[in-house]
Amino acid sequence: MNHLLRKTLLGSAATITLAAGTSAQADDTITFGLLQDFTAVYTFVTDEYHQGQQDYLELINQRGGIEGKTFDTFVRDTGNEPDRGIEAYSRARGEGAVLVDFLSTPVSRAIVDRALDDETVMITPLHGRGDASHGETFPYVFPMMATYWAQATALIDYIDEHRGGLEGKTIAHVYIDTPFGREPIPVLEELAEREGFQLETFAYPTPGTEQSATWSNVRRARPDHVLIWGAGGGQPVSVREAIRNGIAPEDILSVVWLAETDANTVGRDRFEGVRRFEAVAAGTDYPIIEAIQEEVIEPGHGSGSEENVGTSYYNIGVATMAVAVEAARNAIEEHGVVTGETLRDGFYGIEDYDAEGLMPPVTFSPDDHQGGGMGRVSKWDGDSWEPLTDWFSAHEDVVWEAIERDAADFRD
Amino acid sequence: MEYFLELLINGALTGLMYSLAALGFVLIYKSSGVPNLAQGALVMLGAYLTWYFTNAWGIPIFLGIAVAVVAMFLFGMLTERFLLRKMVGQPIIMIVMLTLGLEILLRGVAPGFLGAAPKSIDVGIDLAPIIIGDIFINRGYLVGAIVALVLVAASLLFFRTRLGTKLRAVSDDHVSSWAVGISVERAIAVSWALAGASAVAAGVMWGAEQGVDHNLAALLFPAVAVVILGGLDSIYGVVVGGLIVGILGSVIPGYVDPLVGGGTRDVVVSLIILLTILFRPHGIFGREDIERV
Repeated sequence: MNHLLRKTLLGSAATITLAAGTSAQADDTITFGLLQDFTAVYTFVTDEYHQGQQDYLELINQRGGIEGKTFDTFVRDTGNEPDRGIEAYSRARGEGAVLVDFLSTPVSRAIVDRALDDETVMITPLHGRGDASHGETFPYVFPMMATYWAQATALIDYIDEHRGGLEGKTIAHVYIDTPFGREPIPVLEELAEREGFQLETFAYPTPGTEQSATWSNVRRARPDHVLIWGAGGGQPVSVREAIRNGIAPEDILSVVWLAETDANTVGRDRFEGVRRFEAVAAGTDYPIIEAIQEEVIEPGHGSGSEENVGTSYYNIGVATMAVAVEAARNAIEEHGVVTGETLRDGFYGIEDYDAEGLMPPVTFSPDDHQGGGMGRVSKWDGDSWEPLTDWFSAHEDVVWEAIERDAADFRD
Repeated sequence: MEYFLELLINGALTGLMYSLAALGFVLIYKSSGVPNLAQGALVMLGAYLTWYFTNAWGIPIFLGIAVAVVAMFLFGMLTERFLLRKMVGQPIIMIVMLTLGLEILLRGVAPGFLGAAPKSIDVGIDLAPIIIGDIFINRGYLVGAIVALVLVAASLLFFRTRLGTKLRAVSDDHVSSWAVGISVERAIAVSWALAGASAVAAGVMWGAEQGVDHNLAALLFPAVAVVILGGLDSIYGVVVGGLIVGILGSVIPGYVDPLVGGGTRDVVVSLIILLTILFRPHGIFGREDIERV
């Protein structure tokens, strides 16, 4: 059986066993609810992401935890269904979870009100509501990485700075016809007006596995650059169709959801030159990943296939837990105990934390739950993702305008 | 005009790729009268097995495909032996529900055991399109369409063989077939086995395009549109239905999407299903005495 599936089942059993133990044990354990979609829409990312999360927590536990407190996870498969997510959330709360991560936009959106009422920290890295970056409106929700708006502005800025400017150019936004695909359009329209480029938008139907008619249209628009805004199976299809329609790989720029698996599907050589937004570095040449290799994987405590260590989505999972553990460390140092409230305050104590170079420096405050919204652009060099820029953010005024507008709608 | 021709040609090729997924549906219906809602999952499983044998055993892709065909053939026979045979005499709606249950089971089990992250199958088709004037033709879909036509032709020939004739007799009337000494169980097992084998072809061609994951099971939707339009029991219908679904699903969105700002292909496919059922419930080539659920 797939290792992660087994881990899910065993992890659940372990949590239940732990919960039945003594209160002293419970006091020494910090529980995170990893209530994710292992079987439906987000399967393209969940395995590796979850494995990275588990391996990082195992690394911390192997080192004795924080002030003697170790981490445990409560794992459930939500199948990307809000009703299952709500049930899993209730159970996780019952097991003492102080933080939850659904890695599913529909589920995390369904839980927002509950998490706010229950004062449970919900992290929504690279999914969920972008407006949750507005800390005043969403005090217990932490997107913690660049929102899709921030990703769109960064990619446009990259074209401006590194691909010959924007004035007079045509940029095509080719997206899956869902709220996720449509999300960056208002920001792109604003930038088009401001920077003087022409924006053309092209939708393709879910799940994106057949896009030929869409790309015939894209080709006729003669775009200078193409943004592809999809996830999972639709992404390699987009890259294939773009190349088939004569668009050079270096003019294809993707949202964060483009990874090694997509390069394999298209063909590692054919994929060479494709750009993407990168929220967390890929590869194994980072101290945290090396430590995981040495202290977790090699002794046989890893939670999944060794091949996944260092992949894009694995490292994103590691980064999420690295930030969460830092928040827990701050909570313990300041309050001696980790609850939803103290953990939230622990996030506010994080300043310029970059997980030893694995991710851009993030700083959280009661106003900013995005953490700065930085990322970088990398390209596939035929074998791995090569960074082309330093960590940066761009057009933050446009991003925050979108955040504040949607947050205001939520408050209303 | 060139734009229209490009949409037309690529739509036709896409439609024939859908036919590849729909063929197994017709093979089972034509032989046993069972609408198999697990066909999408069989396509997914065929692709998963091809990937697994090719990578785990380190064998060439075409050998991996051959092994997967054998495995899916056996899987089809086992499905009849342990699931379908127990449903003899049960209402058809329960058999349909059984196939739906099988679909859900396979969609969970295959990624669970073989990994949910997308896998790649490389059958060596060049990404570069065939360019005629300003018309770009998708080479992958062209190969898939040729494979579909070859398999359809093979199916037509098969139903003229002695075994194929027995399968048609079983489809007409189980009791009469028993009465003349035809093993109904064996005939149904063979139809499921052939559907499993054809699912490998669909899984490999679509998997080479989009990667191998649970999304392949979603091919059930266009496949159902193809067989409803073409006729549930018609092999010719698979080709014609596939062409119409593919062309309409390409040409109409090609002109309408830019106007409405959205992907309308699923709307077109849904309308094909609804209008066919309303105005020609047996499809273009289907027999009118088909019992519908």
